[in-house]
Amino acid sequence: MSPGARRALQGAALGAGLLVYPFLDRSLGLQTVHAVSDGMIYVLLALGLNIVVGYAGLLDLGYAAFFAIGAYTMGLLNSPVLGSPLYGYRWSFWVCIWLAAGVSAVLGVVIGAPTLRVRGDYLAIITLGFGEIIPVAIRNLGDITIDIGGWRPIVRLNLTGGENGVNPIGRPHLPGVPFETDPVPWYFLILVIGLASLWAMNRLRDSRLGRAWMAIREDETAADCTGVNPISTKLLAFALGASFSGFAGSVYAAKLQAITPGAFEFQVSIMLLCMVVLGGTGSLTGVILGGMLITLFDRVVLTETTSMVRSVGRATGIAALTAADLTLWRWFFFGLGLVLVMLLRPEGLAGRRARPLAAVADDTDDPAALEPAPRVETIPGWLRERAERGGVVPEAAPLLEVRGLTKRFGGVVALNEVDLVVPRGAVIGLIGPNGAGKTTFFNVVTGLIRPDGGRITFEGARLAGLRPNAIVARGIARTFQSIRLFPQMTVLDNVLVGEHCRLAATVAGAVLRPPAVIAEEARARARARELLAFVGLGGKADDAARNLPYGDQRRLEIARALATEPRLLLLDEPTAGMNPRETETLTELIGILRRELSLSVLLIEHDMAVVMGISDRITALDYGTRIAEGTPAEIKRHPRVIEAYLGAGYEQELAARTPAR
Amino acid sequence: MTWWEVLVQQTINGLTRGAVFALIALGYTMVYGIIELINFAHGDVFMLGLFVSLAWFTLLGVTTTLTGWQLVTLLPLCFALTMLTTAALNVAIDRVAYRPLRRSTRLAPLITAIGVSFMLENVALLWKGPAPIAYPDVFPSFDILREWFGVDSAIFVTSKDLLVVGATLPLMLALHYFVTRTRWGKAMRATAQDRETAQAMGIDVERTILLTFFVGGALAGAAGLIQGMYYNIGQWWMGYQAGLRAFTAAVLGGIGNMAGAALGGLMIGFLSAWSDQYISARWTNAIVFSILILVLVFRPHGLMGERTPDKT
Repeated sequence: MSPGARRALQGAALGAGLLVYPFLDRSLGLQTVHAVSDGMIYVLLALGLNIVVGYAGLLDLGYAAFFAIGAYTMGLLNSPVLGSPLYGYRWSFWVCIWLAAGVSAVLGVVIGAPTLRVRGDYLAIITLGFGEIIPVAIRNLGDITIDIGGWRPIVRLNLTGGENGVNPIGRPHLPGVPFETDPVPWYFLILVIGLASLWAMNRLRDSRLGRAWMAIREDETAADCTGVNPISTKLLAFALGASFSGFAGSVYAAKLQAITPGAFEFQVSIMLLCMVVLGGTGSLTGVILGGMLITLFDRVVLTETTSMVRSVGRATGIAALTAADLTLWRWFFFGLGLVLVMLLRPEGLAGRRARPLAAVADDTDDPAALEPAPRVETIPGWLRERAERGGVVPEAAPLLEVRGLTKRFGGVVALNEVDLVVPRGAVIGLIGPNGAGKTTFFNVVTGLIRPDGGRITFEGARLAGLRPNAIVARGIARTFQSIRLFPQMTVLDNVLVGEHCRLAATVAGAVLRPPAVIAEEARARARARELLAFVGLGGKADDAARNLPYGDQRRLEIARALATEPRLLLLDEPTAGMNPRETETLTELIGILRRELSLSVLLIEHDMAVVMGISDRITALDYGTRIAEGTPAEIKRHPRVIEAYLGAGYEQELAARTPAR
Repeated sequence: MTWWEVLVQQTINGLTRGAVFALIALGYTMVYGIIELINFAHGDVFMLGLFVSLAWFTLLGVTTTLTGWQLVTLLPLCFALTMLTTAALNVAIDRVAYRPLRRSTRLAPLITAIGVSFMLENVALLWKGPAPIAYPDVFPSFDILREWFGVDSAIFVTSKDLLVVGATLPLMLALHYFVTRTRWGKAMRATAQDRETAQAMGIDVERTILLTFFVGGALAGAAGLIQGMYYNIGQWWMGYQAGLRAFTAAVLGGIGNMAGAALGGLMIGFLSAWSDQYISARWTNAIVFSILILVLVFRPHGLMGERTPDKT
């Protein structure tokens, strides 16, 4: 049986099981449908949290707040009892669930927009604070009295039902479906919602947006420099997670018919986090598994074990066992679970265990296959086309023009009035001793650091104040001195992240996949594969990036940079740590890029043979100041360059040794 | 009471509250300074400090108010025993739950810290039950203004207020001396600045981290004991609340900065006392957390912290 057929069969069996279950339950008189439906709501919540924690890597400790907001949106709009202006509308359930999701998403944006800039562990505490504030606010808004020195504009206003909550909440109406009396319609309603969510999440994960989330999770700076906007990407994850939570909350409220603020405390957030962590952050099956296990544990195992222990106690006459109540240990077990999973299996039950490096087998093939030289024929056609279309600026104008660039760190002047020009189609070398300011120069040009003075013009437009990802979109791509790939993502996905800023799919597009999005995605994948073949990584597209050998990682980083369709490529010590053979291949690659694609390259390099060999002109920096500029031959002879590299006195020594002519 | 008497009274309340927050905040800030971990379980170590100190008092046979020589011998003894117990507990937590994850991602130990916090709370819940526990009035309580100075005022300054200040101040001074004047303190400061360089200079980093957890745990234990004697009540969930307020204090002062933690603790103490009086005790938590969020968003390095580059 083919794997596809087996999967289809498994799916059919699972589907049949899900369909038959409630009727089986009824005929056997088990009465578990209620509990199972509640469990499914929690799984739905955990799936939403997984977008935030698993995909985007943002630890959200206040996720239950959005659950509360969704539930109260439903409660306030759909409850027939309370008398305040906000109550008594009795809007239809079918309208309220969407409103609840919308309100939660909006609040997610309101909370996320100012806070997502802060560091990961601070963000966790901010969300925790938000998660604390919401239940407090719900409790207190049930009885508002404002008393300013005897003037009481508001007396005992009840907006939220306070500690007593909202009760009852109207149930959904569908002709002929008994939502009021029977748990089975609820089961199917939640099942449909759950399956639809799963379907949508699957599609999101495999889209441009899913890749952007994971790139941010893996390395935010690298993602920013590859054209992914970290703020909007994180905000999207946060808002989507919130809307899921709101949606689930509204269904939960209607199903329970009554909500109290106590149902949305910190513990709920932690239980959901347990589900995600136990199952495996980022894995959909894992989260479902984790959710089911924890619900099962919470609802069945604890109570069953308690009654078992008690019966053992009665049989043996040990009083301590007879009185035992394991349900009191509930939160102890959740805490212990979090600790044990993080210590013993941090990737979760269903997460992919990190493959050891030894598992990469094809290292022993013949050396020619190991270092395939880049060939002109393998240049992707689309890159060539793009190169021929050219830019918007006349050929004569320089591509990049930097004037008077200055950057100070405290008292240290890292860059002092540096000028540098990259003409179209040129390879420019940037050399200097360690600490000369070369990487700082790159960081300023790519927008990672704001300059204190000077002007950077790219294709005639100023780059001042642009974020790194916007600069990538303008056409400047870079690599890093210490390789910064997205290690847990596949080689192909790394390159696809590079294409992120050239793709257009939105959330709706990624989920619904209209023909335009399908075509775009297919084209992106084809391009990525062509690029990988070009740099010599054709056979490794599906490996995890971190399993690649060092030289391959360097080339993958270049392929990722090329995927952003740059007109200027900044390479920060591309041959560092490479053997002579790898260095040669890389030099060839740069040569081809320039010759065939008229791509401009700005190159930091310590290997003088490389930099002298391929650069048209070279700029030398020392202590942040430009000390020389010229052709390789001029730079080689330039006294200040020699002094910077070899120290003062060398010339005199040289002069003393050479007899005067 | 006139309005200014209310204000003075609430400010005194704020001072005593703030002293306890400051002691807890020091533990947060020291651990964060050295391994960049928000030790979520720290508030629960404080809570267990209260429970443990009660156990020590019981073991020492103290059930009523101490007087005379008993006060000057048994009370310091109980302080020492409680601080040793919570210090050992804090070190054990680090060994079991955080140390194996030193080289892991930043969020991994934070998640285990939350797990440990839940476990500690549950242990306290099962030990003493869900109802608030009564803490015996071991410290003699009287109104200083009336008894010592003969001032008849609506404002109460009790002997317990004096105890809080009298216990907290020496502890902070001792900590300050320890950190700035001793070899171990120097090792701690060096490790906090750059762990790898400290290691290269021959500092035993793991032992320094252990020491940090030890000192932080001891301070939390002292805070628990003071809290118990002052309020005569303890609950299993109080560590979570107090911990979050103390963490807010640490962030407000600039996390990693010890003077900042002390100052932040006092400020949160004043704020919560005033908020209880002038707004409503029901809103105090929301107000404290709003401050936390605002500080983290707009001034993440706090009032006294330096702007440091992200070590990741």
